[in-house]
Amino acid sequence: MEKKDIIQSFKDSLFTGLIALALFGPIVGLRTVSKGEGLFITQQWGVVFLLVGLCILGRFLININSARRTEFKIFSTISSKFSSITEDKAKHFAITGILFAVVFPFLPFTDRYFMDVAIMILTYIMLGWGLNIVVGLAGLLDLGYVAFYAVGAYSYALIATTFGWSFWICLPLAGVFAAFFGILLGFPVLRLRGDYLAIVTLGFGEIIRIILINWYEVTNGPDGITGIPRPSFFGLPFKRSPDEGETSFHLFFNLEYSTMHRIIFLYYLILVLALITNYFTLKIRKLPVGRAWEALREDEIACKSLGVNPTNTKLTAFAIGAMFGGFAGSFFATRQAFISPESFTFIESAIIVAIVVLGGMGSQTGVVLASIFLIGITEMFRDLEQYRMIAFGGAMVLIMVFKPKGILANRKPTILMHGDKK
Amino acid sequence: MSNLLSVENLTMKFGGLTAIDDLSFDAKNNQITSIIGPNGAGKTTVFNCLTGFYKPTNGQMFLHKEDSKISLRKYTDFKIAYVAKVARTFQNIRLFPAMSVLENLLVAQHNELMVASGYSLFGLLNLKTYRDKELLAVDKAKYWLDIIGLTHRADDNAGDLPYGDQRKLEIVRAMCIEPRLLCLDEPAAGLNPKESAELNKLLKFIKTEKQTGILLIEHDMSVVMGISDHVVVLNYGKKIFEGTAEQTKNSKEVIEAYLGVDE
Repeated sequence: MEKKDIIQSFKDSLFTGLIALALFGPIVGLRTVSKGEGLFITQQWGVVFLLVGLCILGRFLININSARRTEFKIFSTISSKFSSITEDKAKHFAITGILFAVVFPFLPFTDRYFMDVAIMILTYIMLGWGLNIVVGLAGLLDLGYVAFYAVGAYSYALIATTFGWSFWICLPLAGVFAAFFGILLGFPVLRLRGDYLAIVTLGFGEIIRIILINWYEVTNGPDGITGIPRPSFFGLPFKRSPDEGETSFHLFFNLEYSTMHRIIFLYYLILVLALITNYFTLKIRKLPVGRAWEALREDEIACKSLGVNPTNTKLTAFAIGAMFGGFAGSFFATRQAFISPESFTFIESAIIVAIVVLGGMGSQTGVVLASIFLIGITEMFRDLEQYRMIAFGGAMVLIMVFKPKGILANRKPTILMHGDKK
Repeated sequence: MSNLLSVENLTMKFGGLTAIDDLSFDAKNNQITSIIGPNGAGKTTVFNCLTGFYKPTNGQMFLHKEDSKISLRKYTDFKIAYVAKVARTFQNIRLFPAMSVLENLLVAQHNELMVASGYSLFGLLNLKTYRDKELLAVDKAKYWLDIIGLTHRADDNAGDLPYGDQRKLEIVRAMCIEPRLLCLDEPAAGLNPKESAELNKLLKFIKTEKQTGILLIEHDMSVVMGISDHVVVLNYGKKIFEGTAEQTKNSKEVIEAYLGVDE
């Protein structure tokens, strides 16, 4: 590299530093602290200079890198190694993953906190898999997926608290309700594509949330619904002291009472639900309707010219995606025992979409990796308080830089004429 | 030979612009009917009317079936392909690029497979009736791939094929819906002479072996003159000539439309 280039990139990085200073100065440098009788401004210029320095250094390195017109070798080897592992050994990877998930609750280092995080990750995996049908396969960008999650949660909560039916009856009902709402949303948006569709679905997500807040008589408004029944283990509740004429789980199996029993049960419940979603998606992808979804994503006009009914095809995608969102919602309701509209804000939809897109559109394993990565990292940095979201953003940027098409972007044909060559 | 398609007084207006003006012509079974004309003559608009993408302002289009005839005006959108069995290809290739060649051909058999899979129910249960039907569909795809010599690439993405092969694949994909009328919009555009010759062979095969009439829009005169049984010449939305390839070549009106009038 020539000397001129170095000077040029050094100037460029200084300019970047200037922009960073202008941004970080007021945002990070000045901080309001409430003390006693009022708000005070504290200054933290050290952090600002650290951040600005990092920006200058980063920009300089990027400049040098692009001047050499080659990637850092280490990055390309890591990324190619990574894809070769996951592409060739996808099956082994999946089996190992499932086995690990099954034994996870009994590993020595697993404690209550790990279990909670694992349940959360699995919920997002299930939501990601559900949304993958709509976004990844059918190519319909749905930014309001959380609406179906909310419909599932509220249907479960309302049915369970009003009629007192068991989890196993309410779960399919919640799925049916959510699917119905999926079709309801599907109809008006059939003609829309791309950005327009995204905006309308985003609006739909907000509408559902606002209805939940304002329809006080039914949904109890912002106060939410409390006392949602917990699931039972085939009729055996997880209670320390069961009601009269009832046996609880720990008494039946002669165990010491522990709250972990319920947590472990919930863990397996969401694991099974998620795996059902996955199995279903993998199956339906190889059926005519699944191929029609993908064809619709590729070219809608060509689909019409081949006699594929785009209306029905899109509606099934919306309905099935929504149904799994509904299942996940009822699981959420039964786990929390309390739901309020607060839990179903736009950021939830955004996270689910991010998981699907960053995982690699249409890739089932990609969704798992992206969920673990995004949710796991955000949890890991929980101690950092308000900087936690920086970690979330950083994780997203890293994936976008090194894997612009998503962690696993390769698509396998649904049917092979010549069999698997490998 | 029996009539397959009759277009009667077809008119298509876009606002003040008359793209097709009172056009009437017939196309016959097992014949290749070419529609030619200078750029902007309204050829693709005729196709879009026939295949349900546009609703014509005026006129009728009938598809003859043994002793009955069905009006194409009644069908729009996907029903043209599904019910009336009119298939088409596009001027700019419209394959499903990220899907494999075989999958492209299976999507074309979507409606039969949907019924066979019990609208996904039998398929999810993995019943044998569905698996057998799917194998039949793969056989049909293989039959067509053998004809265009792409069987060895069946599992590759359609978008990775060379341009000429993509053209041929789009044609056989349309053939997989077993159409009665196949509308080809400039199938030879961008092909080299060798590929054009192969295309001619494929179209002749379809014409003679299948119960399909072909309607062809083409600028490449080596294709048009080589295979057309009947030529319709359009200019500014009007039919200016109709006849065999040989007659067309020598027609004064056609030469004037293409080259201008000698002052």
